[in-house]
Amino acid sequence: MNSAVYTSHKPSGLRDFLPRLPAGVWSLSGFSLLWFGGIVLPLLAIIVVSFLQGRGLNIDFDPTFLQYEKFFSYGGGDMLARSVRIAGTVTLIELLLAFPFALWLAKGCKNNTVRLLTFTALTVPFFLSPAARVIVWRSVFGINGAVNQILLGTGIVDEPVLWLIFSEFAVHFGFIGAFFPTMVWPIFLSVSLIDNDYLEASGDLGASRLRTLLHIILPLALPGIVAGFVFTFIPMLGDAVVASHMGGNNVLMLAAQVQSLIGVSNFLVAAALAAVVLAIMLAFQVLLWFALKPVGGLAGVFASLRR
Amino acid sequence: MANSKHKISKHLYYHLSRRNFIKGAAVGSVIVGAPAILKGLTRRAKAAEKGVVRMLFTAPTMIPGDWTQFEKDTGLKMEDTVIKDDPGIFLTEIQVNDAGDRFDMISTLSGAEQSLIEGGNIMEMETSAMPNWSGMPANIQSMPYLVRDLSPTAGKVWGVPMAMNADSFGYLPEKLGEPRPPEEASWSLVFESEKTMGRSSTGDNYIYLWEALGYLKHTGQLAVKDILNPSPAEARATADFLIERKEAGQFRLFWKIFDDQVAVMKNGEVDAIRCWEPAVKEANKAGGDWVYATAKEFYLKWMHAVYIPSQVEERGNIEDVYTAINWFLSGGYAYAITPLRGYLNGRPDLAVPYAKSNGLDDISEAMKEAEEKMALKFAKEDFWFSAVPENLQEMQAQMDRVLNA
Repeated sequence: MNSAVYTSHKPSGLRDFLPRLPAGVWSLSGFSLLWFGGIVLPLLAIIVVSFLQGRGLNIDFDPTFLQYEKFFSYGGGDMLARSVRIAGTVTLIELLLAFPFALWLAKGCKNNTVRLLTFTALTVPFFLSPAARVIVWRSVFGINGAVNQILLGTGIVDEPVLWLIFSEFAVHFGFIGAFFPTMVWPIFLSVSLIDNDYLEASGDLGASRLRTLLHIILPLALPGIVAGFVFTFIPMLGDAVVASHMGGNNVLMLAAQVQSLIGVSNFLVAAALAAVVLAIMLAFQVLLWFALKPVGGLAGVFASLRR
Repeated sequence: MANSKHKISKHLYYHLSRRNFIKGAAVGSVIVGAPAILKGLTRRAKAAEKGVVRMLFTAPTMIPGDWTQFEKDTGLKMEDTVIKDDPGIFLTEIQVNDAGDRFDMISTLSGAEQSLIEGGNIMEMETSAMPNWSGMPANIQSMPYLVRDLSPTAGKVWGVPMAMNADSFGYLPEKLGEPRPPEEASWSLVFESEKTMGRSSTGDNYIYLWEALGYLKHTGQLAVKDILNPSPAEARATADFLIERKEAGQFRLFWKIFDDQVAVMKNGEVDAIRCWEPAVKEANKAGGDWVYATAKEFYLKWMHAVYIPSQVEERGNIEDVYTAINWFLSGGYAYAITPLRGYLNGRPDLAVPYAKSNGLDDISEAMKEAEEKMALKFAKEDFWFSAVPENLQEMQAQMDRVLNA
């Protein structure tokens, strides 16, 4: 009977010609193929292209390091260092701001209305265009903006403070506002998953709040922190809006540089830039691997989610 | 046991519900997305739809507010799309993304047409199909860059002049103690005046490096062999100059788009700015006292032209396309664009008669002012701007070096 039922559901058609392997293997192979064709192959193509020469849309297959030389001779190295420095600094600031906030939201806030309003406030920015999220700061920090009016009105300064906008300070500030939700959400989720019994048990065993934070909450929230880092640092490197609107193009960053190269059909130098960024990302991966080794690597970090 | 049954049925309920939800979502997505999908699939066909013309622009200021007058004069409906005016983006859209499949006309800065002709992306034009072509002044028909292939004397016409201007910069005359136009003001207000230290601005791409090079040439600070095609060494020397000025604190910002220009003028961030003329008009609408300079040294003279993608040849709506292009050479476009933007089209002489015959406001003063202004500006030597100079990539790279400094 069971056999008859099994036969009636036996896959037919193309599957008959495939070797009899568990369905999961085929799914994995399909996914791997898609991943290889959609992600790995284009990246390899970019790396190959970065070693070629060309003019406009035409490319000569003559291997060279010329595009890398050009990229670094036009200040590309400074631009990359600046991009990583700003994105790294802001990610660290976001972590320091977002962790206590997420902890309060997940474990401290008992009022559902307040929590709902906070959720809404964290979600609203995603419904706005990236430019709309930051453009408002121009009228706050501008030469005739609210902050300068207050500073002048209270006599703290005699002349408007110019570095509030179109400066590195402004870029940092713009990023902090724009990327706060991307750091808060993953940390909030991982902290929410921590069983309150653990926290109570820690207290019952005599641990101080700080000890509970450092030895219970922080290790269990690590998946959220790692995810928050990824969702904040990486998109920030590729953000073209904040640096342009808040920095007034005085602070050139990665995405703006890519746009600039594409804007004049300089695809080969753009490919060299992409290859350098890929190398930096791989270096970060290695650093992350070493950093997480004491806690069992990335797999060890996310193992806490299985509790 | 009862509990267990309850759990199973609940699980089943959620399971089915989720399945139904996914099905529903899929069906819903198709229904909601159908218009967009169909629109995409029929894009090519729609470009050929009778009575509708589609046009690709690279500057929003070429659009005369709305298309009411165009539709009234031609009986056609215009659908416009604007993309960024970077030459790489424009050429990629035409040559790689086959914009000709979707657009009946394309408009961009003159100078880009050579690549389009070589690539077979645009078709040769029949001037006899555009009645307003013949009355166009010879000096407009024979402008450098356009003259290479657009001039009738070259035998082939590949594009039609749409609008032109001679760009300089905006400044606040009262605040800076500078004369008002038509008296001349120096480009030094943008590049190296103490009066505007920390309160001047220019753009962020190669065009603005080019202008700095023009300034250096006219003030005797740099020997420039061919202003129309700066060499890599000249571009580097100019970048060095801009870096020095940037480090001295001259520039408040390097703007990217038209809206940036207007915003910083309105907000009082700058006192002098290399900008488009319409930005001055927009800033003054908000109560500003901006003027557009009669430049002492030079102007960047430009023309936006209209081209027909080669795909139109087989589309069957070429008559509509010529009717539309003829309108850009008409009094209707002149009436719409000159008072609004300060630009001149190929037939400014038709604007006043057009207004009279259509019972519209008298714009003879605005036209006279614009034509006099243009005559004054065009009398200056240097220089006709090409969207695609020979060392385009090198010039942009040098401008990037300035931004990176």
